Amino acid sequence: MRGKWNGKLYRLERLLGLGSNGQVYLATSGHRTTFAVKIGHEAAELQGEANILASLDHSQKNRPPFLLDVDDAIVNGTNVPFYVMRYVPGIPVKAYLRQNGSHWLGVVGYRLLERLTLLHEAGWVFGDIKSDNVLIGEYGRVELVDFGGASAIGRSVRQFTEIYDRGYWSAGSRTADPAYDHFAVALLWLHALDGKRLIQLTKTLLPQNRHPRELMRLVQSNPLLKPLEVWMEKALAGKFETTREASGEWRSLVRISQAPKSPSDRIPGWMAGMLGAAIVLSVTVAAVWLLQ
Amino acid sequence: MKQILLITDGGSNVGESPVIAAAQAYAEGITVNVAGVIDDGTIGEYGSVEIAEIARAGGGISQIVTSRQLSRTVQMMTRQTVAGSIRQAVNQELRQLFGVDNVGSLPPPKRAEVVKVMEDMEETISLSVALLIDASASMKPKLHAVEEAIRDLTLSLQARTGKSQVSVFHFPGDSQHDYCVMDAGWTSNAAKIGSLFGRIRMRGTTPTGPALMQVVDFIGETCGKISKTELAEAPLQATRGDPNEVRSDYVV
Repeated sequence: MRGKWNGKLYRLERLLGLGSNGQVYLATSGHRTTFAVKIGHEAAELQGEANILASLDHSQKNRPPFLLDVDDAIVNGTNVPFYVMRYVPGIPVKAYLRQNGSHWLGVVGYRLLERLTLLHEAGWVFGDIKSDNVLIGEYGRVELVDFGGASAIGRSVRQFTEIYDRGYWSAGSRTADPAYDHFAVALLWLHALDGKRLIQLTKTLLPQNRHPRELMRLVQSNPLLKPLEVWMEKALAGKFETTREASGEWRSLVRISQAPKSPSDRIPGWMAGMLGAAIVLSVTVAAVWLLQ
Repeated sequence: MKQILLITDGGSNVGESPVIAAAQAYAEGITVNVAGVIDDGTIGEYGSVEIAEIARAGGGISQIVTSRQLSRTVQMMTRQTVAGSIRQAVNQELRQLFGVDNVGSLPPPKRAEVVKVMEDMEETISLSVALLIDASASMKPKLHAVEEAIRDLTLSLQARTGKSQVSVFHFPGDSQHDYCVMDAGWTSNAAKIGSLFGRIRMRGTTPTGPALMQVVDFIGETCGKISKTELAEAPLQATRGDPNEVRSDYVV
């Protein structure tokens, strides 16, 4: 596929995913560099996404750019708009936690909040947070994909997934603000760690009874989420002033939950044994010395 | 920008053709979208063809969904229609000013600028959506889902920067002579649209066409104004206005 404006040549290797408004392919160009190429149907819609990526690149100059090219190609006689991004290898967060264990939640959750902090400070809200859009790479590295749902702070949320939506749970408006994303992150963890009960809840609850307190009931009765109860409650109630605050609180709660439970856990058995032996030995030596 | 959203579960059986009514609405600058709701697969070929035809004549989109998917569908159709109308208007301007076919024919850097303006317009243009609900007997079990979809749509519209308002109608009316009844006049407050359909007596006929025409008249008369009465007790007494009075208001 050759871009008709900028003339770059891309070789599409395989389909990475299907979005709501296009397909994403893994592509190579020239000397084995890999990219992700998003091909759409509607030039204006695709350009809207590219605009968001460009504006993020613009506001975060300290990292390599994410958006690399915007162009059209002629495929089988029709005009096909596309844009090219940095390729981010990774798997959806839900699958990652299932494969690698839920003890990765601390790092992954922290990384996600740090990523969102950058986004929010640049004036954007991600909006459509869900497992498929949060990719985890090596050692819990987080990257957000599909910026089609990102909205400028203060505007209306452009795209969302029903069960992650604050409005659906009667917990606030659909105006894009950082707290909208905090709410969706809380739902992401509920969905990832207690998916069955969450889906069951959405099926049985009458619309007028949808409320964050129903979600908190799930949190309180889940051993993995219970230690994060304070954080979840704040996120669901929109109580975090900034994402930096949310991230800091997450970190400290995870640290507390990782701390050993009782004093006896703190000192491994062999160490206690050695100490005992050392005391007995020194007392014996002292006794022998005194008796002499 | 003005839209009518028709929520129905089957074919019309009284009065003029809803396809013609939708075509008239479109001629007056009102886009007509149709959501067909089925839960047990009984919409029939006649019903589904008519639903698609009404939307096509009304310059809008149609989709046939289960009542579970209704909120999402109503949401998406409203947003897509706004985006679509703006795209259409922008493309027309581009053709006249620069002789290019559409936004996609501009080189990417220029396209980026135009798209920014288009998205601004999508967010800030004033939007009026009249919901027309089929309340014939077969729709009864689906009315809760309809009410939920209306609440959900209002919530989304409230978040827009531009002025947004909805009004709600159902058909058939309570007596032989009213084709449709207004449940809520223009409002932008979700809380004002409470339990809407409590007092509806379900009847058998489905006068989709005449009801559609009555809503077109209502929009023509109240265009741009928010009526004082949020919940009208009496059925809407509509007089047919001169169709030339109302013009498309999405001129860029």
